[in-house]
Amino acid sequence: MEYFLNQLVNGLCQGAIYALMAIGYSVIVGVVGMVTFTYGEIMMIGAFSAYYIFQAFGNNLPLAILAAFTGSFVIGIIVYKLCYEKFFNAPRHISLLCTIGISMLIKNLAQIVFGPETKPVLDIIENRTFTIMLGSVRLDIKLLQIVVILLVIVLAGTLTLFFNKTKWGIALRAVSQNKDAAYLMGINVKRTALIGNCIGSGLGGVAGILLSIYYYSVSATMGGAYSMKAFAASVLGGLVDIRFSALGGLCIGIIENLGIAVSAATFRDVFAFGFLILVLLIRPQGFVSKKGVRV
Amino acid sequence: MEKAKDFYEKHKLIVYLILFAVSLVVPFVIEQALILRYICTIMMYATLAGSLNVINGYSGQTCLGQAGFFCIGAYTCAALTKNFGVSFWIVLPLAGILAALVGLLVSLPTLKLSGIYLSIVTLGASEIIRIIAQTWTPVTGGALGIKQIPYPNLFGLELFRPKYYYFIFLIIGVLFLFITSRVLRSRVGRAWMAIREDQVAAKSLGVETSRCKCTNFMYGAFWAGIIGAAYAPFVNYIESSQFTTDTGFNVLAMVVIGGQGTLLGPIIGSAIVTILTETLRFLENWRYVIYAIIIILMMWVRPQGLLGASDSILAGGKIRRKEKEQGGKKA
Repeated sequence: MEYFLNQLVNGLCQGAIYALMAIGYSVIVGVVGMVTFTYGEIMMIGAFSAYYIFQAFGNNLPLAILAAFTGSFVIGIIVYKLCYEKFFNAPRHISLLCTIGISMLIKNLAQIVFGPETKPVLDIIENRTFTIMLGSVRLDIKLLQIVVILLVIVLAGTLTLFFNKTKWGIALRAVSQNKDAAYLMGINVKRTALIGNCIGSGLGGVAGILLSIYYYSVSATMGGAYSMKAFAASVLGGLVDIRFSALGGLCIGIIENLGIAVSAATFRDVFAFGFLILVLLIRPQGFVSKKGVRV
Repeated sequence: MEKAKDFYEKHKLIVYLILFAVSLVVPFVIEQALILRYICTIMMYATLAGSLNVINGYSGQTCLGQAGFFCIGAYTCAALTKNFGVSFWIVLPLAGILAALVGLLVSLPTLKLSGIYLSIVTLGASEIIRIIAQTWTPVTGGALGIKQIPYPNLFGLELFRPKYYYFIFLIIGVLFLFITSRVLRSRVGRAWMAIREDQVAAKSLGVETSRCKCTNFMYGAFWAGIIGAAYAPFVNYIESSQFTTDTGFNVLAMVVIGGQGTLLGPIIGSAIVTILTETLRFLENWRYVIYAIIIILMMWVRPQGLLGASDSILAGGKIRRKEKEQGGKKA
């Protein structure tokens, strides 16, 4: 029981990171209308930007988050120019394959530039553990986990405000709902799509630094597995809905950690994807009640 | 291109005979085992890419998980021949059938889905298969993989030289091409292509789309399983890291570079990619950078692939056709 509760806390924390990844992913998919396979590499770039900030300026978390956001934002522009801008009217698989190509390009360039080895990211947040006694059950919560969860909540809240209160945010939502109608309302669809893609990428970069802090390491090949998690989480949420994508991320995080509690740690991804396939089998449109967009 | 086609149409028999003679002579002319191994690798990937092409190019579903079916074939062959001493020639079809069954399982949840949902399910399935191969130690050897896979035995002759594998891959490849070209001309194959062009229209004309998609997946998975089974003794050592999603993307790149929806495209694509990655080995990671740039360039310049037709639906032909019609009306 105690073990399961602690795994639940781990799952909640990991799920929070996945939720942030999924939010960024669904912003990209919603606004651009096409999927991306570069997301893992974007997270990796974010994590590396933060790593070099840590090297240069010490443990300055806010500055690192800003750097991660900016780094991924810039990569987002490149990805948009290379993969999406020309292909809005082309068949879907063309831009999809383009993103696969870009993903390969960034991954291998990163291995050349940053080096192939895994780099440690240590002691960014003080290693302190809080213990809560619930009756006879002992619950351990790390300071790191609290910081991660709080950060994700703050970011998600800011994003919700941005989407509902600002002009740009409303334009982004309009483009995400219907490109033609948005165009008729005088919105510059291509520029809005570019901004949306970059904001999604920036969030991915922040998720990347959270991952590197959570696992105490960063490497050029870290992206692959997580990009598929982000993908799976936002598919669970119906691909374009931000709130449900966040819920999907939390679910995948919790299910993974409860799953490895009853089996072995190597089965982590099996639980994530098994759950995804099961959900798609029962509810192909994800959690969302109305029919999700066909992407 | 046109001339070559005309020549082929006129002298079909001669072309086939020449190709047959050349393919028979090749392993005896080329002495270096290394080059022969490269040729074997090209033929192997050509068949694997061809099997993916049946799914992606002919029925228009974006499957990203061919590495998983390939993995099943390879592990079936390795585990059965090594642990139980089953003959390679029995395992070969068995691996194909097993992969086809898994293909059926994968295709079931994808029936309701299309586009990106289908891609993610196939990708996830391929990853699940790889993780199972990595963790199911008693059968698959776990992370260490399976070493010293027994060579196939043909009437007491142990097949271990690249020369022999050349013929194994050649026979499998030719069989694949022949059977696939027949299937594509049959009712089933035409139904696949109808689904690719317009699923709703196909359904309204009485094509059972869900069953056709199932058979399509199974057919593609079947050949991937068979080529996987032949791959295992060829490399003599398999481990789960040979079947990552990157392998799947690699095979996909071959199909795309060669041309989706053409029988010869995957062969050309496989040759280009394999020669490129093998000859540029000295460049280490840079060769993947070059490779990635080629994929992106290909999508920008010739999205239908080297051999694809420019009015193919895979190149955005439908949209272009519409634009033309609209333009014509205005004029």
